[in-house]
Amino acid sequence: MGAPVQGLASRAQKGLSEVKVSEKRHSRHLISNTLSRYYFIFSILALCFVLGLVIIFIGKTALLLFAHLSPAEFFFSFNWTPEEDAFGAAAFIVNTLSLTALTLLIAVPISVGMAVLCAEIAPKWMKNFIRPVLDLLVGIPSIVYGYLGLTVLLPFLRRVSGEGLGDGLLAAALVLALMVLPTICRISDDAIVAVPRKYRDAAYALGSTRLQVIMRVILPAASRGIISAIILGMTRAVGETMAVVMVIGNTPQLAKTLFTPSSVLTSNIVMQISNVEFDSTWNYALHMMAFLLLLISFVLILVIRILGRKRRDA
Amino acid sequence: MKMFKKFTVTALTAVIAVTASFAGVAAAADTLKGKITVNGSTALLPLTLQAAKEFQKLHPKVKIAASGKGSVTGPQAVKKGIADIGACDWDASIDVPGFKAFDGQVANKVAVIPFATIVNKNVGVDNLTTEQLQGIYSGKITNWKEVGGSDANIVVITRAFGSGTRVNYQAKALAGGDIVKKEKNYKETGSSGDMKTAVATTPNAIGYIDLVYVSGSDIKAVKFNGIEASTDNVINGSYKIWAYGYYMTKGQPTGVTKEFIDYVQSKKFQTGSLKKLKFIPIAAMKS
Repeated sequence: MGAPVQGLASRAQKGLSEVKVSEKRHSRHLISNTLSRYYFIFSILALCFVLGLVIIFIGKTALLLFAHLSPAEFFFSFNWTPEEDAFGAAAFIVNTLSLTALTLLIAVPISVGMAVLCAEIAPKWMKNFIRPVLDLLVGIPSIVYGYLGLTVLLPFLRRVSGEGLGDGLLAAALVLALMVLPTICRISDDAIVAVPRKYRDAAYALGSTRLQVIMRVILPAASRGIISAIILGMTRAVGETMAVVMVIGNTPQLAKTLFTPSSVLTSNIVMQISNVEFDSTWNYALHMMAFLLLLISFVLILVIRILGRKRRDA
Repeated sequence: MKMFKKFTVTALTAVIAVTASFAGVAAAADTLKGKITVNGSTALLPLTLQAAKEFQKLHPKVKIAASGKGSVTGPQAVKKGIADIGACDWDASIDVPGFKAFDGQVANKVAVIPFATIVNKNVGVDNLTTEQLQGIYSGKITNWKEVGGSDANIVVITRAFGSGTRVNYQAKALAGGDIVKKEKNYKETGSSGDMKTAVATTPNAIGYIDLVYVSGSDIKAVKFNGIEASTDNVINGSYKIWAYGYYMTKGQPTGVTKEFIDYVQSKKFQTGSLKKLKFIPIAAMKS
């Protein structure tokens, strides 16, 4: 009689200690959860703080410009001759937009096509070859692309077109397209791979051909991922400097043809910023151009996000 | 044993004495202490770095930090108090085309920098006069046959406005003439290295660069008014495209900064390392 009672008591005690242990574990989890939450919040705040500082600093210096110059002249004049106090940035703005558009025109069809090939069509050994190669391409510094453009692409373009110089939008767009291609391709690839298998099976079961499956089912299903890939590629194209500087010709004029030596916002800033006095209209104008660049990429991202959302809803 | 002990003690004493005296000498020679920041011209940067290395060896307690961005950043950094010395390819204490004088700054000559007109190897021209260069850079002459070459469009390559090389080339080779901006066969480059690559890879191209950069078979330096671009011709006064390199300081240099500038201007450095870097000593110039 005594033994079972004792056993019971000891079991009860054991349970009690188990409860204690789990309580301890619970509080430990609670602490680590709280800590990690604070850590994440702190990280995000720090990031926002840095971004805010950048925006405030560039914006503050940039807005000083309008004390010296009317916004109308800055935005709508095509005459950029700083040594004669003419600061019209319209040519750079138009060139930046057309360069980005041209780059995407070249890069998007190729890279999305490659992504489809990689995700849907290629045999395994080919996938295993293409993906690491594309990852490596992302890691090449942009100045190397620029140098290759200068020494390989430009002589080629000169021979083909018969131009004297070869510098201009086309050369810059080709170099940029090569640079954004791996980014767009790899992210689209991931998006396509993430499309559930049952979609494909269902489409095939309905009697679709492979092309129909790809065009009507997989690409629409992966469109959100592909659009974010294009956004990433585009922001890289808008902000890219070193490679562009080497092949665009750096002449502050509107690019009327594909081979007119011209200049975009980034290349003009990098060419001039180190030769400009700190407290001059010229310096403020360059900061305004940097601020503009920020706004342009912000607006482009916004526009494409909205487009992406609409297509998803439809 | 006793002798050995004696010997050891003597030896130790001697060693300590010698060490102490050396340390004493070193300490006595090294009253110089401080920090110098040099900013500005990339053309003068190799010279500054070399001088800093040698100067710090002589005076280990002096720290010299040197960086290069572009000529005009030199005097600007001095003006803002960021740097003690601003390296500049022109005398920034007086007005030059496009740049106002920096008030209260003193220009200390440290070297002579020769410049050369360069053309792509396919260009058959090997001499250009001041008028021809003015014509080419102002956009009036657009074909090589107008200056005695073959029938081909001239591709003009130039440095961005504000480059020290451009300021000097415009003043000396073009005699103050304009450099055209909006032109089809016209291109700007950001640095001497880019300039060299661009001229080397573009047929029918013309450009200008520091003489020390002229090397290799893809570019060639052309004669200026019939005179070959060489250090000898700069020294004997017949070749005119050259300029002094300056260290700009706020007022007359003092303390460590003065010592450093004195070292760079000293005969030992001017005729030694400076010459090895292919600059020309300032003492070699008559004017």
